[in-house]
Amino acid sequence: MTAVTVPVRPAEGANPRPLPWRRMAWVSWRHHRIALSGVAVFVGALALWMWITGLQLRHAYAAAAACHPASSATCQNLIAAFQSTNVILKGGFVLQPVPGLIGAFVGAPMLAREIETGTFRYAWTQGFGRRRWALAKLVLVGVAVTAVAGAFSVLVSWYYQPYLATGNGTVFSSPSPLSPGLFDLRGVAFAAWTLAAFAIGALAGMLIRRVVPAIVATLAAYTGLALLAGNVLRQYYLTPLVAKGSNLPDSAWITSEWWTKGGKFAFGGRPSVGLLQQLCPSSFNAGPGGRVGTGSFSPSTCLVQHGYTQWSDYQPASHFWPFQWIEGGWLLALSVLLIAVTVWLVRRRVA
Amino acid sequence: MTTLTIPARLEEGANPRPLPWRRMAWVTWRHHRIALGGVAVFLGALAVWLSLVGLQLHHAYAAAIDCHPAGSTACGELVINFDTTGGILKGGFVLQPVPALIGAFVGPLVLAYEFETGTFRYAWTQAFGRWRWTLAKLVMLGVAVAAIAGAFSVLVSWYYQPYLAPGRLYSAASPLHHWLFDLSGVAFAAWTLTAFAIGALAGMLIRRVVPAIVATLACYTALAVVAGDVLRADYQPASHFWRVQWIEGGGLLALSALLIAVTIWLVHRRAA
Repeated sequence: MTAVTVPVRPAEGANPRPLPWRRMAWVSWRHHRIALSGVAVFVGALALWMWITGLQLRHAYAAAAACHPASSATCQNLIAAFQSTNVILKGGFVLQPVPGLIGAFVGAPMLAREIETGTFRYAWTQGFGRRRWALAKLVLVGVAVTAVAGAFSVLVSWYYQPYLATGNGTVFSSPSPLSPGLFDLRGVAFAAWTLAAFAIGALAGMLIRRVVPAIVATLAAYTGLALLAGNVLRQYYLTPLVAKGSNLPDSAWITSEWWTKGGKFAFGGRPSVGLLQQLCPSSFNAGPGGRVGTGSFSPSTCLVQHGYTQWSDYQPASHFWPFQWIEGGWLLALSVLLIAVTVWLVRRRVA
Repeated sequence: MTTLTIPARLEEGANPRPLPWRRMAWVTWRHHRIALGGVAVFLGALAVWLSLVGLQLHHAYAAAIDCHPAGSTACGELVINFDTTGGILKGGFVLQPVPALIGAFVGPLVLAYEFETGTFRYAWTQAFGRWRWTLAKLVMLGVAVAAIAGAFSVLVSWYYQPYLAPGRLYSAASPLHHWLFDLSGVAFAAWTLTAFAIGALAGMLIRRVVPAIVATLACYTALAVVAGDVLRADYQPASHFWRVQWIEGGGLLALSALLIAVTIWLVHRRAA
């Protein structure tokens, strides 16, 4: 690498030089080896924990699944033991912050540190050119972080496989693969979210120019985006299927329920107490022993008897991979856009 | 504050000077106003969210409790309605990382930042004396952070009160249950102070900000898991709630004081 200073803009019509990726890979490793090793240690420790608890889970599942007859007390105990193994990991929510943490602690310091400590004055005035340098670093570290996350998500899919196994569907209540806690831990989504967090971190670092505020801003932005995607956007990726009643397999992800009467919309969600009181006054009788909700009288029965029909919007389990590709696709596009904006900002900033 | 340089060690037998707390409070605020402001914004946003959902929750609870007769299906509907209000806040799980985040992002700033940028060479060579400066900063920031967290935990206790109220809705969650215990009483403020103290010591030992933040989060997680799973494992009756709170709060306070004392001792010993 020459140390000759060159003007910030290349001359008009200059030949684009090829990017020496191997040399930049060495530079990126030297600059960010602590961050990358930290990610490896963190993900490695998580992977070890999940592998150990995953083996426990599989033993419990095998014991419960092999037990016959399924309704006997012994077998019910085994099923209960399976369902209570590793409750902390069960819904998948504990692993949700992992992409955000990786992206914030690797992506945000990448450019923010250079600017905060002033070393950009040395790094950006090399003959190499600041834009190519920033692009190479972001792409190489981004790919590395995404690859680590992708490998980890394979282990996560392996872990959750007993919960999602079909076949014994009447014995275990299993979650839908599309449920918010599990969907973005598996397939391509986990790696895509990690890349998006990294890209948000890089842009935040470039805009805020201080490391710790950039980390905080990245965590906040990532949380907002993840909540938006999970709660609002995801259910609209494909048109949901409509079914009558709520007798759907466990693997379906129900996105909304509503009731109609005589072909016209009546109300959404659960019936109000006032409506039940009006239609079925006998539902106000206390059940035997004063316990809640006993007897054969249920709100659904009451409504059906009065001519109401229940409908559900749902996404079947077969939509899992199309959703994964859609979500992975727009996250990848967003990441590319954010990294492009970051590199453009590097070029524009007056050194 | 004079700018004379003096030797790192006080002379033997020098009179101990009183610490001018008001002046150090001003200095601490000027140095860390962004961090403290960030904590206030973060907890403020959480407080707004908790208030909005908490009002819904309390309305649903009041409606369910007032319903008669209690065993009927219609009143069961109100119980289900109460049960599904609150979403992810329900088990107390989502608020667990809050003390760790506050401590990890405020604690290391006191010392690690000075080391990383080299400004310790200016700050520690004031006539004021380096360990008095560190003591004043750590105590004031620790008190500020614990006070903000304590105020926030009052709101959190209000939020979870319907779940812990004895009633015929369902077996009320025990206030000693894992996730709810360290969000209420004095435990939340004590955990925040502990996270801050861990952060300060990590900053002094590691001397780089981002690794110190990561180390603080890791140590806090390990400590919280040990406290929750091992020390508090035996199920205790609800009447023991305040006793266990004071024991845990006292233990954490002692731990924080020890960590801060070790940090100050390290500041005193380190050759500038």
